[in-house]
Amino acid sequence: MSQQVQIRLRVNGDAHEVAADARTLLVDLIRDELGLTGTHVGCRTGHCGACTVVLDGRVSKSCTVLAAAADGAEVTTIEGLAADGVLHPVQEALWQEHGVQCGFCTPGMVLAAAELLAENRSPVDDEIRRAIAGNLCRCTGYENIVNAIRRASAS
Amino acid sequence: MSDAAESTGNGTASGSLMGARQPQIAGARLVQGQAVFAADVSLSGMLHASILRSPVPHARIGRIDADAARRAPGVEYVLTGAEAAQLSDPIPHYLDPAPIGGKHADVRCLAVDTVVYAGQPVAVVAASSPNEAKAAAELIEVDYQPLPHVLDAQAALAPDAPRLYDGWDDNVVLSFGQKAGDVEAAFEQAEHVISGSVSVQRSAASPLEPRAYVASWNAASGRLTLYAATQNPHTLREMLARSLRLRESDVRIITPSLGGAFGSKMPSHPEETLIPLLARLAGAPVRWVEDRRESLLVGGREQVHQFEVAADGDGRVRAIRNDIVGSTGAVASLPGWAMVLMAALAMPCGYNVQDCEITYTAVATNKAPWNAQRGFGKEAANLVMERIMDAVARQLELDPAEVRRRNLVGADAFPYTTATGFVLDSGDYDAVLSDALELFGYEDERRRQRAAREQGRHLGIGVAFEVMPEGGAIPGVGGGFDSATVRINPSGQVTVLTGVTSPGGGNDTALAQIVADELGAELGEIEVVQGDTDVCPFGFGNGTGRSVVTGGSAAALAARDLRERLVSVAAVMLEADVGDLVARGGKVVVAQEPERAVALGDVARSVVTLSHLTAMGVEPSLEASRVYRAPHVNHIPDEQGRMNPYPTYGNAAYAALVEVDIETGTVTPVRVAVCHDCGTVVNPLLVDGQIQGGIVMGLGVALGEEVAYGADGVPAVTTFAEYLMPRAADVPEILITHRETPSPYTLLGTKGAGEAGLAGAQAAIVSAVEDAIAPLGGRVTELPLRPPAVLDAMDRRAT
Ligand code: FES
Ligand code: FES
Repeated sequence: MSQQVQIRLRVNGDAHEVAADARTLLVDLIRDELGLTGTHVGCRTGHCGACTVVLDGRVSKSCTVLAAAADGAEVTTIEGLAADGVLHPVQEALWQEHGVQCGFCTPGMVLAAAELLAENRSPVDDEIRRAIAGNLCRCTGYENIVNAIRRASAS
Repeated sequence: MSDAAESTGNGTASGSLMGARQPQIAGARLVQGQAVFAADVSLSGMLHASILRSPVPHARIGRIDADAARRAPGVEYVLTGAEAAQLSDPIPHYLDPAPIGGKHADVRCLAVDTVVYAGQPVAVVAASSPNEAKAAAELIEVDYQPLPHVLDAQAALAPDAPRLYDGWDDNVVLSFGQKAGDVEAAFEQAEHVISGSVSVQRSAASPLEPRAYVASWNAASGRLTLYAATQNPHTLREMLARSLRLRESDVRIITPSLGGAFGSKMPSHPEETLIPLLARLAGAPVRWVEDRRESLLVGGREQVHQFEVAADGDGRVRAIRNDIVGSTGAVASLPGWAMVLMAALAMPCGYNVQDCEITYTAVATNKAPWNAQRGFGKEAANLVMERIMDAVARQLELDPAEVRRRNLVGADAFPYTTATGFVLDSGDYDAVLSDALELFGYEDERRRQRAAREQGRHLGIGVAFEVMPEGGAIPGVGGGFDSATVRINPSGQVTVLTGVTSPGGGNDTALAQIVADELGAELGEIEVVQGDTDVCPFGFGNGTGRSVVTGGSAAALAARDLRERLVSVAAVMLEADVGDLVARGGKVVVAQEPERAVALGDVARSVVTLSHLTAMGVEPSLEASRVYRAPHVNHIPDEQGRMNPYPTYGNAAYAALVEVDIETGTVTPVRVAVCHDCGTVVNPLLVDGQIQGGIVMGLGVALGEEVAYGADGVPAVTTFAEYLMPRAADVPEILITHRETPSPYTLLGTKGAGEAGLAGAQAAIVSAVEDAIAPLGGRVTELPLRPPAVLDAMDRRAT
């Protein structure tokens, strides 16, 4: 039997205590134990960004983090971004600009872009493209994602 | 339908949603991560599957020892090929090559005695967690007795090549030739005969969402429910009924949200039979989620074209010969292998060349099978035609854009029957080309290019024309039509049930717009239900840019029928003439006296509650069902055996600018401009989104994406670190304009846009790279154009 560990963490403001296999990845804990399936899995190798969450204030790829390493951490997932049903400006802009097609990359894109705008209120396109360089999108060709982030920065 | 009803609220009134830049109706859910994908489906007591795959490309399977796996923690069931073969039948082929002159091979969900590619499923474990399933699968011991393997199509065609399948006398899946006109005479008389080749690498559609299946059996009814990341649920239902020996009515396929597909989720993959079988044996629901390594196994596109072209001194192409050899990997039940066939049939694309001899051979090799990939071989036809146009321009020292202009089908020639029998429906190709060149700034860029060369910088300009046959109808497979039911309830909400599915491009929004317009309903009241075979009418799902052409038209017809019924009941309620009424904004209104109006929901309530009063003139039904069959399809072969399987042909022209660093071979794409004609545009936001995504995918296959295999027959590319899909910073400026020539043959004038972008971008980028290195004698014959290939191309002095 593999080793079990106790993990305490706050996710979207709620405290959780979960017993999990020591090998469990943060992404699987979020999806399977907490049922927050807006965090997606595209690769499990850290290359696609579909699993992006905010971990202790920084966007992180949750497939590259052991759940045990997030013990005591503060996590925000896509489900925790909209406040009281009001979309974050990045979410609103992605929707309006058609920067979302299938929506599989979108949660990761939203969190990466939200971090960028929190640090840089008026990024130029190169900065936007660099900020989402770790997030693959196979549907949109990025054009409308960049447009959306620019629009959100202006709002 | 009465004339009066036809003229009421049929979508042309102001406030029409047709042509509106309408964001996706599912957008709010998507941006909040609330959409449910197949891997998100979680059922009580659900187990998790892990598949053991062959590590070798070709071997006999000796003993399989699964005892340790069966004893491993959490394991509920271990299934091997021998047992699976007793309990299931071969998976039916989506398109079996045998009836059209090719060869058949049985495909099973698990290998039985032989594996023919690295990655082929050999055994599967169901366990309480994915980790336990994976750990147990690794404990299964398989005795592989290696057989010689062959990876390259040319090598596989050698008489002494290893054979993949017992009973086959060679490795040819299907080989065929087609000849139209007098090719010999044209070549004899030609002023110029030019030959060349282009080879395209193996690539993967690689949607960001891997495939996933969750199978569940109802113990009481014996019915199977499969939540499947599939593009074609009805097609899959029939295939699974056969492979699993079930009554088709006992199979329900539900497609949750799809995270992209691009052809790769067409049926039927072995896992679609395997996971339900495992769930039945394990006595519990089972979920399997593909990993990226598995996703990258699903291949396509790898082919070599050897062409010869006869041209006049003015650049007019008189005749073409092309021989296509596709390396289609091992035989599967998937439609992918037929992309070789379609590459041949789609030639000579938008060019007026009636003398053509085209041969093609799909060859089985010990690589993983192909599935469909956006473009479905039509992109390869476009690519080779553009290589031909560039070859002619170079030989005759003509402007490449001008050579294209001289060869395009004229605007007055439609409907135009190509040498291969496709009947191009409509367009103005010359104008589309002119618009693209103007948007790109072609003349200015040529000047800048000359100036840059004097400074030692190597800019390249590429031009390409794309014809994309859409809405396909293949005899024996289906398509070319689809179905819809439109329902209203007494509260005024409208439900559209459709046979088309959305892979993630937003066609549900287009359908909702169409229905809102036809019915006069508010967009916010409309819900579109897709992908559930128990609920939706029969349809062919998603593929071949068909969703709006067929599904949208069916929804329009059903909405019209329903509107006609509601308007006639409203006429009784309002004591008005039917001819004076319009349905708009969620109401039926007396056109000249807008204060006399009744809400659609109130009309619906009247139909069912006052069926013997207000609704005496109609059937008291709140729904209408229609099928739209695209008329411009011909399945009766002409005297040369040719058919027209596509109702409509979207088209576009592209111009691309790249810069090549001739020291390193690095290609930097700078700009892609396109003028696109998909006929009537229902939603420019969605259409441009398709084009942008297609262009970037085309950029990827032109410049970077490749699934390479080692000499050992094992894929060397298993992660996104090696499979180089474009990232945000790799993408050039993209400019899009439209020229709308509505198809005269589709209900709404639409032509389909789902495959737009890829073919033209790929061809234009390749053309631009060659243009950049041409002064150094460079010739492009091999894709993708990664730096070493570009350096090689500069050393090449092919004709
Ligand atoms: S799933 Fe984590 S980066 Fe792809
Ligand atoms: S919208 Fe589909 S992967 Fe980005």
